[in-house]
Amino acid sequence: MTNFKIAEPQTIDQVTSLTIDKKDKYKLMAGGTDLLAEIKDEIIEPEVVVDLKSIPDLSYIKKEKNGVRIGALTSLARLAEDTLIKNEYPALHEAANSVASPQLRNMGTAGGNLCQRPRCWYYRDPQVKCRKKGGGRCFAFRGKNKYHAILGGGLCYIVHPSDLAPALIALDAEISINSPKGNTTIPLTNFYTLPKINVRKENILAPNEVLREIKIPLIKKEEKSTYSKFIERGTWDFAIVSAAVKGTVSGGIFRDITIVLGGVAPVPWRLTKAENIIKGKKITEDLVRKATREALKEAKPLEENGYKKELAEIVLYRAVLSLL
Amino acid sequence: MIETINFKLNDKPTRLNVDGERMLLWALRSELSLTGTKFGCGEGFCGSCTVLVNKEAVRSCQFPVKDVKGKDVITIEGLAKNGNLHPLQKAFIKHDALQCGFCTPGMILNAYSVLLKNPQPSHKDILQNMDENLCRCGAHTRIVQAIKTAAKEMIGGEKR
Amino acid sequence: MRKKEYFADSEEASLLYREEFRDMKTEEPEVAPSPEKDKFEIIGKSTSRIDGEKIVTGRAPYTHDIKLRGMLYGKILRSPHACAEVISMDISQVQSLPGVKAAIQLKKGRVTYAGEQVAAVAAVDEKTAEQALKLIKVEYKSLPFAVTEEKAMEEGAPQVRKRPNVQKFNEYTRGNIDKGFKEADFVLENTYKTAVEIHHPAETHGSVAKWEGERLTVWDSTQAIFGVRDGLARALKIPASRIKVIKHYMGGGFGSKLGINDYTVAAAMLAKQANKPVKIILSRRENSLCVGNRPSSLQTIKGGVKKDGTLTALYLKNYTSGGIGRGDYCSEPVVDLYKCPNVQVEEHSVFTNTGASRPTRAPGHVQGTFALEGFLEELANKINLDPLELRKKNYSTKNQGDKETPYSSKGLNKCYQLGAEKIGWKRRNKRPGEGNGKVRRGLGVASQIWWGVGRAGTQADVKLHPDGSVEAICGTQDIGCGTRTYMATITAETLGLRPKDVTVKIGNTEYPWCGGSGGSTTTPSVAPAIRDAALKAADYLKKMAAEKLKAKPDEINITKGKFSNKNDPVQSIGYKKLIEELRKERKFRREKVFHGEYVGRPSGFAYNTFGAHFAEVEVDVETGKVKVLKVVGVHEIGRLINKITAESQIIGGITQGVSTALFEERIMDNTTGNVANPNFRDYKIATSLDIPEITPLIVDTVDPRINNLGAKGLGEPPRIPPAGAIANAVYNAIGVHVREIPMTPDKVLQALKRKEVD
Ligand SMILES: Cc1cc2nc3c(=O)[nH]c(=O)nc-3n(C[C@H](O)[C@H](O)[C@H](O)COP(=O)(O)OP(=O)(O)OC[C@H]3O[C@@H](n4cnc5c(N)ncnc54)[C@H](O)[C@@H]3O)c2cc1C
Ligand code: SF4
Ligand code: FES
Ligand code: FES
Repeated sequence: MTNFKIAEPQTIDQVTSLTIDKKDKYKLMAGGTDLLAEIKDEIIEPEVVVDLKSIPDLSYIKKEKNGVRIGALTSLARLAEDTLIKNEYPALHEAANSVASPQLRNMGTAGGNLCQRPRCWYYRDPQVKCRKKGGGRCFAFRGKNKYHAILGGGLCYIVHPSDLAPALIALDAEISINSPKGNTTIPLTNFYTLPKINVRKENILAPNEVLREIKIPLIKKEEKSTYSKFIERGTWDFAIVSAAVKGTVSGGIFRDITIVLGGVAPVPWRLTKAENIIKGKKITEDLVRKATREALKEAKPLEENGYKKELAEIVLYRAVLSLL
Repeated sequence: MIETINFKLNDKPTRLNVDGERMLLWALRSELSLTGTKFGCGEGFCGSCTVLVNKEAVRSCQFPVKDVKGKDVITIEGLAKNGNLHPLQKAFIKHDALQCGFCTPGMILNAYSVLLKNPQPSHKDILQNMDENLCRCGAHTRIVQAIKTAAKEMIGGEKR
Repeated sequence: MRKKEYFADSEEASLLYREEFRDMKTEEPEVAPSPEKDKFEIIGKSTSRIDGEKIVTGRAPYTHDIKLRGMLYGKILRSPHACAEVISMDISQVQSLPGVKAAIQLKKGRVTYAGEQVAAVAAVDEKTAEQALKLIKVEYKSLPFAVTEEKAMEEGAPQVRKRPNVQKFNEYTRGNIDKGFKEADFVLENTYKTAVEIHHPAETHGSVAKWEGERLTVWDSTQAIFGVRDGLARALKIPASRIKVIKHYMGGGFGSKLGINDYTVAAAMLAKQANKPVKIILSRRENSLCVGNRPSSLQTIKGGVKKDGTLTALYLKNYTSGGIGRGDYCSEPVVDLYKCPNVQVEEHSVFTNTGASRPTRAPGHVQGTFALEGFLEELANKINLDPLELRKKNYSTKNQGDKETPYSSKGLNKCYQLGAEKIGWKRRNKRPGEGNGKVRRGLGVASQIWWGVGRAGTQADVKLHPDGSVEAICGTQDIGCGTRTYMATITAETLGLRPKDVTVKIGNTEYPWCGGSGGSTTTPSVAPAIRDAALKAADYLKKMAAEKLKAKPDEINITKGKFSNKNDPVQSIGYKKLIEELRKERKFRREKVFHGEYVGRPSGFAYNTFGAHFAEVEVDVETGKVKVLKVVGVHEIGRLINKITAESQIIGGITQGVSTALFEERIMDNTTGNVANPNFRDYKIATSLDIPEITPLIVDTVDPRINNLGAKGLGEPPRIPPAGAIANAVYNAIGVHVREIPMTPDKVLQALKRKEVD
């Protein structure tokens, strides 16, 4: 582990001034559950770690007229325990509850979860310099890729590790970003980018930009949501495949439906094709399976991860049926 | 950066002069010679290093020591009071909820935090909250039994 | 005779392990013990660990916890290449870093796996030592490598060692295999595969070395203090008499800590150079690379059976890979477990550029039993026979592999009966996979044979002090099995005291000799030795008491702290009182040491342990996910010494077995030559949510001649059958055998496809 200093800004704007002429030599830290592991494994070697926890008032869950606002530093545990979230946004509740383990949920934050780095084992191996780390090749492509992407790959085949992301995207969440260039709010779905765009990054955030807040619109009448995660162990694990589903349903028919898969692509993967097939029809196991199969026709499994296609079908139909 | 860190350790006011970014685990084991908190992976995956910070179980190998400023830290050494074992400690012995004993301090402290939040956890509550601590010897079954026994023992406060 | 050098030569590690059991001959005891007649008060019941309080309060000192004045921290530089030539190395820069006190080059020439040590440094703290490693300049010429079995077996694959990558190391034949197949009504052939596992003890490997002049003291996280001492003596070329090895508490080993390690030698060398104590603690990653693993296996079994279930032939061909090490003998279950007149075995090592294997709790048997028991399950289905009946039908009362020697005792039948009752064997699917829901249940069984004999030559002392206190001393080690506790119970039982009256001393090479704690040998070695010593102490005390009570020594009974006359129980004297009087009479003024030894057992018998596990599982046939619901583990281990810790062994073995069956696999990457999952995130181990309801049951028999207590070992046995029982339960649930562990969802789904084809 290299030596680094911890800086403790008191306001979110100080983050910018603290980091202004340090180029890539600093990193932002929230709960530190991922960042400190990266530093320990010497995947990144910052000189300064900017501890966002020192900024007051970034941890909250507030219900307002047009939705719920969640501070980026809100712990995953708090998110998982919040009754409002549990009652109105079950998908988010279930996603937060499925992240890692209770202790990690105490320390990990919502913002950190959305910004965490991939778990590809080549990326996490300090001895390997793959494309994501500025090297010339993707080792997973012809290597050990049982847990890698079946969709959206190319150059790099990570799967995005966040459980919150698919759920929040399905719930039409937006995020606010504090940037030296000014503050912006964008749909979360636009936050994530494929390796094709920039293989070194998973999202559009610049190093000195802070994800400040997550906003979820109010739920509509008869709107339901769920998040279902398939893991190998009973114990904590990253998703092999997960599915976030939101929709308004009555009489066994979805008037509208949003489906986002996790664990299958470098970004949370919206299944628009399947949504279109399912919408307006009487839901049956067969229908959902067919729709998934249709939508996953574009999947390009690697040597060892073809089973994810089958699993996606199962996980998804079960999730959809559970909302009836 | 060397900082002075004041906090409460096992009910005693404690002052440390250390690198703030040093992990609590190493500060406990080296600077404070409290070796009951164990190193199992240093990566947040095993739970051997679990301690309580303001009554929450945390992984001390991932917890910068500067973050305990002004807080209350409990390690395995602070669980027994006046030479009397905590009900959890007694129950671990009674049920033989250990073999090599290396995961035991982390298990007991994690269990303690579970009971602080939920004094009468169901079987499933226990499993779900203890699943993050590895026991390579495979004592989980008996650890769960021990926690149930301790929970019963603790109804109406921590009798010692 | 090969020198016993655990781990010094990677290749021999598992070979020697086996030699210790299979070919171990012992001295005949002068008087054969007859332990059956003994009735006990404490032995056989549950005694809580005497060191429990130390452990639960965090005061038990593990090797990680050793801190000495002026101690330095050592770190090791390891090869990033799976195969390379070390062209040059420059360690001169290191000394310029403040705080660095020693640096040594450890390797010249060829490195043959990623993680092999090449240099080491010692510094005032860990951070400095880590920085120092970066200042070592090594020039490598990287060479082609093969880190997977498939690659190593290919035509023209890079040669791992100075010999072919595939090499036969074991052959066995009895009867005539072709004749056996001819006599069969059905012949079946299947191939089973098991993955490489890592031991991953909770406490990573580590040592602390300290010199005082020419004398070396080493604190080591080891299962074998004497093995480490002798290994150090050889490596450092100094007399064993100048080395002391200490191990107080150890956080698990499972075979990976049975011998001398290269980093321990490095710590001693660094300590010498720096003239200060040096501590080296390995990281979790290092634990994944270079301190052993359980070899993989690819086993093809072909067997013949008659319609009535009589086995006529068993043939096994095994390819096993232990990296640059030898691999495991997986054939013992095939050779020994069931009666079969015609058996043939051939086993081959497959060398790969990965760290050498080491004995892993029940080496070879975990893999071999998974294959054999799976095969029998499928065979039973072929002839429409209850798989339990098939096993009973071929029950063997002799160890056929050991020259048809009759077993001294065997309680496997009883295990079958108890286990079947407890799990409700009748509930199993009569036809595998006959249910039709999305989630299906099934039951499976697997049996086990292991050695579990003692090491002749094990010594122990019981020391009586004139103040009445008692010590039990042996140079053994408690690796979590409760050794301290049963030394106290046995001594207490024999002297009529309570376990807490006995002070136990172990874990130091200055105590009487004892072998490594491995292979289920510890209890059947230490228990009889300490019993022998305690009996001698009891004889002395009886003699003294007899004088007081005016009786003959053999008329004296010892119970509950009292010596009494058998014929006239009113005539008695308390333990304390007796000692006090003897002291006053100046008969007992110095401590008295009674030396005990386990010399061996009569020849002409085979000494083995047996057990049977019954598992119930639930399989989601759509996702391929397996959930183990219940495991009942029944074992016959001779005399039971401490019930509660014995049960813990069974529970632990089953828990690890569930993990083996469902999750554990070291993944090697052929592009980088490295372990892809050297951490607990990607190397998955079962924890609470994965663990089934576990019922440990013990068939308490007494072996009539193995030792003075009639006790066998229990370390490995419960680790052996779970994977087989679980795989068979999955078969019973879904109607197709997965034939490969770990049974991850992708493999179960694949197997289900095979069913559609079959
Ligand atoms: C053992 C283990 C198991 C896990 N299992 C799961 C799982 O099943 N599902 C899952 O979803 N996650 C899982 N995680 C990930 C875990 O949820 C994340 O580590 C956690 O959410 C990150 O939160 P943090 O606050 O600790 O982030 P940090 O570690 O502090 O930061 C993570 C990254 O995000 C950046 N960052 C953090 N906050 C901000 C912000 N506000 N603005 C800009 N950048 C920011 C940091 O610079 C860093 O790169 C697991 C982690 C571990 C260690
Ligand atoms: S998938 Fe991405 S992170 Fe993994 S090896 Fe390929 S480029 Fe690197
Ligand atoms: S040592 Fe902290 S989690 Fe393993
Ligand atoms: S008792 Fe050994 S790891 Fe839990």
